[in-house]
Amino acid sequence: MTEYFEVIDRDGAARIGDLRLADSLTTPALLDDVLEEAGSLWSDEQAVPDGDESTLSVLPHRAFPAGTPAEVQAAFEPNYPDVAFPSAAVVSPETAADQGTDAYVLAGASGFTGHSAAFVEAITSTRESIPPDAGLYLPGIATPGNVATLAYIGADLFDTDRAVIRGTQGWYLTSDGEYRLDDLEELPCACEACQQRIETFDREDCVEHNVATLKAELRTVRNRIRQGRLRDYLEGQARHEQWLTATMRRLDDQYAYLEQRTPLVRKSEITAASAETLDRVEIQRFAERVTERYQCRFDTPLVLLPCSASKPYSDSQSHSQFQDAINFRAHVASMTSPIGVVPQELELTYPAQHYDSVVTGRWSATEVEFVADVLESYLEANDYPRVIAHIPEDYQAITERVEERLGETFEYTVTDHPTTDESLENLAATLAGEPKYRKRERQHNAIRAIADYQFGAGAGEAIFDDLQVESFHPKLRAKADNGEQLAAMVPEYGVLSLTLAGARRWIDSDVPTKRVEIDDFVPHGSVLAPGILDADESIRVGDEVVFEGPSALAVGRANMSGPEMAGSTRGIASDIRHVTER
Amino acid sequence: MSQPSPEVYERDRGMDAHNQVMREIRARNDASYEPDEPTKVWIDEDNTPDGVLDSLTIVLNTGGCRWARAGGCTMCGYVAESVEGGTVAHEDLLAQIDTALEQEREMHEGTCRQVKIYTSGSFLDEREVPAETRGAIAERFGDRDRIVVESLPDFVDREKIADFREQDLKTDVAIGLETATDRVRHDCINKYFDFADFEAACEEALAADAGVKAYLLMKPPFLSESEAIEDMISSIERCGAVDGCHTVSMNPTNVQRYTMVEQLYFDGGYRPPWLWSVVEVLSETADLDVTVVSDPVGHGSDRGPHNCGECDDRVQTAIKDFNLRQAESVFAQVECACERTWDGVRDRERSYSLPLAQ
Repeated sequence: MTEYFEVIDRDGAARIGDLRLADSLTTPALLDDVLEEAGSLWSDEQAVPDGDESTLSVLPHRAFPAGTPAEVQAAFEPNYPDVAFPSAAVVSPETAADQGTDAYVLAGASGFTGHSAAFVEAITSTRESIPPDAGLYLPGIATPGNVATLAYIGADLFDTDRAVIRGTQGWYLTSDGEYRLDDLEELPCACEACQQRIETFDREDCVEHNVATLKAELRTVRNRIRQGRLRDYLEGQARHEQWLTATMRRLDDQYAYLEQRTPLVRKSEITAASAETLDRVEIQRFAERVTERYQCRFDTPLVLLPCSASKPYSDSQSHSQFQDAINFRAHVASMTSPIGVVPQELELTYPAQHYDSVVTGRWSATEVEFVADVLESYLEANDYPRVIAHIPEDYQAITERVEERLGETFEYTVTDHPTTDESLENLAATLAGEPKYRKRERQHNAIRAIADYQFGAGAGEAIFDDLQVESFHPKLRAKADNGEQLAAMVPEYGVLSLTLAGARRWIDSDVPTKRVEIDDFVPHGSVLAPGILDADESIRVGDEVVFEGPSALAVGRANMSGPEMAGSTRGIASDIRHVTER
Repeated sequence: MSQPSPEVYERDRGMDAHNQVMREIRARNDASYEPDEPTKVWIDEDNTPDGVLDSLTIVLNTGGCRWARAGGCTMCGYVAESVEGGTVAHEDLLAQIDTALEQEREMHEGTCRQVKIYTSGSFLDEREVPAETRGAIAERFGDRDRIVVESLPDFVDREKIADFREQDLKTDVAIGLETATDRVRHDCINKYFDFADFEAACEEALAADAGVKAYLLMKPPFLSESEAIEDMISSIERCGAVDGCHTVSMNPTNVQRYTMVEQLYFDGGYRPPWLWSVVEVLSETADLDVTVVSDPVGHGSDRGPHNCGECDDRVQTAIKDFNLRQAESVFAQVECACERTWDGVRDRERSYSLPLAQ
């Protein structure tokens, strides 16, 4: 059972943790000062240490270096004793399992380092085999250059060993890679050791610099995790070493691993500045839900629009001009890289209003392909009487490809630029004679579309069969015909938060409910992991979750994924919004 | 092993696993060898109880080590050099001796005063070298002063040694003890005997008025650099305390083909010892009443014991110098910046973080 480690915050697979020693240590962090080692069973018999609350004790172990045959590991794997002090077990990717310790030391990590495929495989399989609320320690490999990637993949604990050793070898480490000290003509760093002329800077200084830089990089990493922006950092920083970029890409291929750990919503913005942005879980998940869960409830024509720099799109100057011309006679979907296609009802839904991309008007082949694929699937799933493409020239490579694939013809209304008077008049004219839809229809469709996106295809009707909408966009409240409130729209994320009545409808509907079974207590404010008996595997951070126990029914927003809730013994699993005793 | 105990059971499991893996790895080797050619012959100088002597070394190609056929030691690739299919005939073994003598004549003026015979197994194992052959070989070298023959402790027997003593050869048995720590010998190296067996073999040798030269392995797999150093220092101390064992030859591990060590090495889980570690052990044990020598094979290469690439030859020269002079002072003059790196590795490397530096 994890006793001395707790995950406080999450950003994808990366976490802010608390190693709860006498002096608590916020992770990702260096263990140098607090690690005690009971010794290796390869060299001698070792007594179980007495341990103490000021240190993390590595229990007597047999480490299996990289390349140790599986048979040998199976034959020599030791048993770990149950101890009452902060402790760590030594595991390999093959032997990793719950040993009841607070942290796990991954043996052989130095063998995988530098080999992205083996590395991703080793770390993810280890992370999946140990309890989610335990710390993962990668000994002897952290550098200022790689530690952001190591944290991103899910490691919590490191040491200065590699940084020190490289320093003694005359390697000057930075977050942009490593330099031979002899090749530097200036010291590009503000740390204390670097405040001297390079002529007098020796290897001992280099050791000091490397350690200082590693510590500084960890501060950057922790801040980035707290901000929910580690990925954005990595897409730039990992470029400096090929194997790190390869590691990020290969981890993207481990979609299930990352998806399980990626929140449904975030406050922070996505920086869309690299090709890898398209592979982010947030982007892929949005595209998947728009094409597989969303259904258009309007029976008007579709107008395809370009995205705008300011978000939500409808607040932008260009889109308000488009809206004036459309005047509620068509459904609007915005085309954008890296999000794909954003139907108007989902323009607030994370990440549709939470990204900022590099705009040059030049699309990469991958971007064109991605947006075209999404648009194609979108149009296959939704039947429109007409498709009007009110887009600038650089978007046409996409629409033309989709027209060709679907054997359909879009109506183009832009001459020169979408916001010229002529273009806007064309747009208005092409919709002449189309009936206007009403505000209530728009509001109902918005609630239902978000419900589809959030809870699953068909949820719009299943949960909000009878529906009355109150208040103004974007702060709509959904009520049943009897006046009971079911849900409210959260404008920052474009998702719904349910009331207990809404939660009951969700439970009663055919849509799969994200359910957590809790022990016999009435939760207030939050539910802690030890109170959880079981949790639906599909729960993600940020999901609406229903809690059911012998004494209570509650609804709240998840702080952990379902597997993390089920596998953890510490930490806040979810905030509770509404609760009732039963 | 009379009393079954969990400890023994675990040890057997470990041994089974090691043997299974080593058999599989060795099976990847498809080379075969001529039965009438010795594996290797060379001449050098050795520090013996009679002083420094010129020395003819013959690695005989026998049927190979019986233990290696069962799987064997995790670092030993010498079985690859043995003859396929088992036993080598008496005539072939003597033909190998003749070839070796011929090569000695070509390489050296006069006959070497010492002869060392290794078999990559046990010269005293009569399945490898029949009694008749042993006697013939003893006779063939009757004109020398000293002879050293390699054997596992099980086969050390005063009557077999008598073959050489009858020729008035001062005799040493070279025993691949590897380490005095049973746990390391069993679990890391997969060598089956105990230190007590070594002590018994020393007693046998003494009874036949012969001596024992213990061969130790510096840095078996699974040990960190500092654990390896400590294991060697304590092993040398314990060997030196055994009557009859007058010399220790410490062999730094080199990565041999078709071994588990090689598999670890390929996957980034093994680095041969630093030459500084060899220096450290020799310095720390120089005062002991036992001769300690070391001949790092493949020094300076990735697969052999090495430092940074800059200083390897200089350090190797100092080690060779030490072998002859047994004086710690030979190391005083050797310095390199990588000593600081080695210091860091010693201080920081753990069995779970090895190798911390290449």
